[in-house]
Amino acid sequence: MLTLNRVSRRYGETIALDGVDFVVPENTYMSLLGASGSGKTTLLRLIAGFEEPDQGEISINGARIDGQPSHLRDIGFVFQNFALFPHLTVFENVAFGLRHRVNAPVKNEKEIKERTDNALELVGLEGFGHRAVSAISGGQRQRVALARTLVTEPRIVLLDEPLGALDANLRSRMCDELKAIRERLKVSFLHVTGSETEALMMGDKVAVLADGKIVQTGAPDTLFAEPLNAASARHMNAWNIFDASLCAGPVGQGAIAVRFDQIDISATGQAPETRPHLKAKYLTGEFNGPTALSFFRAEDGTLLQIIDHLSQPRLPDLVEGESYDLHFAPDAVRQFHGAA
Amino acid sequence: MESRILRPTLAIYSGIFLLFLYGPMIVLAILSFQSADGGPQFPIREWSTYWYQHLLGLAETSRVSQLPVGDSLIRSIILAFMTTVVSTILGVMSAEAFRTKFKGSGPAFYLIILGMMVPGVLVGLGMALLSNTLGISRAWFGTSFVLHVVYTYPFAFLVLLAIFNRFDRTVEEASMSLGVSPAQTFRRVTFPIIFPGVLSAMLFSFTLSYDEFSRTLFTAGRELTLPLAIYGTFSVEIYPNLFAFGVLTTLFSFTLLVIYGLLMKRFTSKASRFKGQEEG
Repeated sequence: MLTLNRVSRRYGETIALDGVDFVVPENTYMSLLGASGSGKTTLLRLIAGFEEPDQGEISINGARIDGQPSHLRDIGFVFQNFALFPHLTVFENVAFGLRHRVNAPVKNEKEIKERTDNALELVGLEGFGHRAVSAISGGQRQRVALARTLVTEPRIVLLDEPLGALDANLRSRMCDELKAIRERLKVSFLHVTGSETEALMMGDKVAVLADGKIVQTGAPDTLFAEPLNAASARHMNAWNIFDASLCAGPVGQGAIAVRFDQIDISATGQAPETRPHLKAKYLTGEFNGPTALSFFRAEDGTLLQIIDHLSQPRLPDLVEGESYDLHFAPDAVRQFHGAA
Repeated sequence: MESRILRPTLAIYSGIFLLFLYGPMIVLAILSFQSADGGPQFPIREWSTYWYQHLLGLAETSRVSQLPVGDSLIRSIILAFMTTVVSTILGVMSAEAFRTKFKGSGPAFYLIILGMMVPGVLVGLGMALLSNTLGISRAWFGTSFVLHVVYTYPFAFLVLLAIFNRFDRTVEEASMSLGVSPAQTFRRVTFPIIFPGVLSAMLFSFTLSYDEFSRTLFTAGRELTLPLAIYGTFSVEIYPNLFAFGVLTTLFSFTLLVIYGLLMKRFTSKASRFKGQEEG
């Protein structure tokens, strides 16, 4: 179990991490979702020991690891750019850790070959060992990077946007494979990403990092359906967050959130009396295949989005520049305390 | 349209420029094949390899004494080799240090670079005065060696600085995350990747030291290095044996360059050897 206790890191005036409390349990696929610049890469680098926190403690199974040199921490790291050794073949890349590590290096060539081949097989690269790393594709490089880390059997594997450099098709395939590989090895993965779909799809648990803090941790479906605060709702990219005072009807006060797919539209003045509603101007629509997204501007300038599923259309025909009443069920509202 | 005039013009210009660059050497090479009774100028009386034989002590005794280059050549090569080793090691170490900002890195940088900027005559003279004051006797392997390092080390340093500038630090972090110590990481990852730069630094150091003149002039003491020995013969009288020697040293430099090129090629092609196809 990896535990971070009030970990902070500053770069000059900029606060990257501000007292992060965070736990990655054993045998878990943990996603860490954060916008770019939220400090998510910094968090990984602190855990791996490439940088040290200004304050706070990092420990694995109760033993502190902050302050230890990174090569003694026994933590795997998969880089966004893969960081393969360009002068070594695929096989030698994977065997590198076994051969040269400080703790319990493997001297027996037969064992090295066996374990390296097993790792290559695990990631689906049997027979690629003799290739130069410049002679394989991006997806294969990703697998080499993964095999290189997994072969040393680290206590936890950190993945820094591991799919960022892959094209969309490959990304979804690697998602499934990463999950399957982790389940076979029973080691914890901490996967950092800026994509909410990736985070929700991969994680057994998902944590949201915003403004240098973990704002919420939970199961993907809980996090998606019941964000606890505006910050985590915003990261789901599925919630309209606006001020309750815009609405007529029973909605409370302060910042509220309504999911994109839970808002209905009627002509001005036609909204059902029992449902909270607000007036907004239709800006434009965006067709995404199975879904269509409509954009509205509320009276205070807030941008609102509504999703319509093509199989079950529920929106009327919309004219750009016209105002409509947007309404929703009272129990669709999530109320947040504090500023939106 | 433009290129129809421009390209041939540029080609001719480049040709003339190269001829200008290598003209003196070509003249020298031609004159080295002068016959025994010919002088160090045109016309060629008769084509022969007499002066090469003379240089190597194979010709029968003649009125011209043999060039006193044997010992000085060996001295120069040893000195260049020592300089290469020390400058390159210093260059690698200091370039590695300059990857992170440290206190005083700005002044330190300029102090290193100064070694190649200050006039050699002044440094040489200064070193001579200093060694006299301190009672250290001047020698090519002592005082000269120090100045050669001061002179070539900035070149090695700059070459490696440029290499490290493009170096992707994450491969080192990757190595350490696999449990490999920083020292092993340098040996197994960093050094092989920067090796082409190390090779270039070595080449620079060697060639610069090999024909260094002004710094050596004041500090070499009694035993001369090759450039000093050659210069010494100018003051007497010039015979074509000097040209023959020039040709031979040029060939030696070319050999060095070829070795450098081959090593470089072998090294840089390693990464792309299997590009796009299975190994045969």
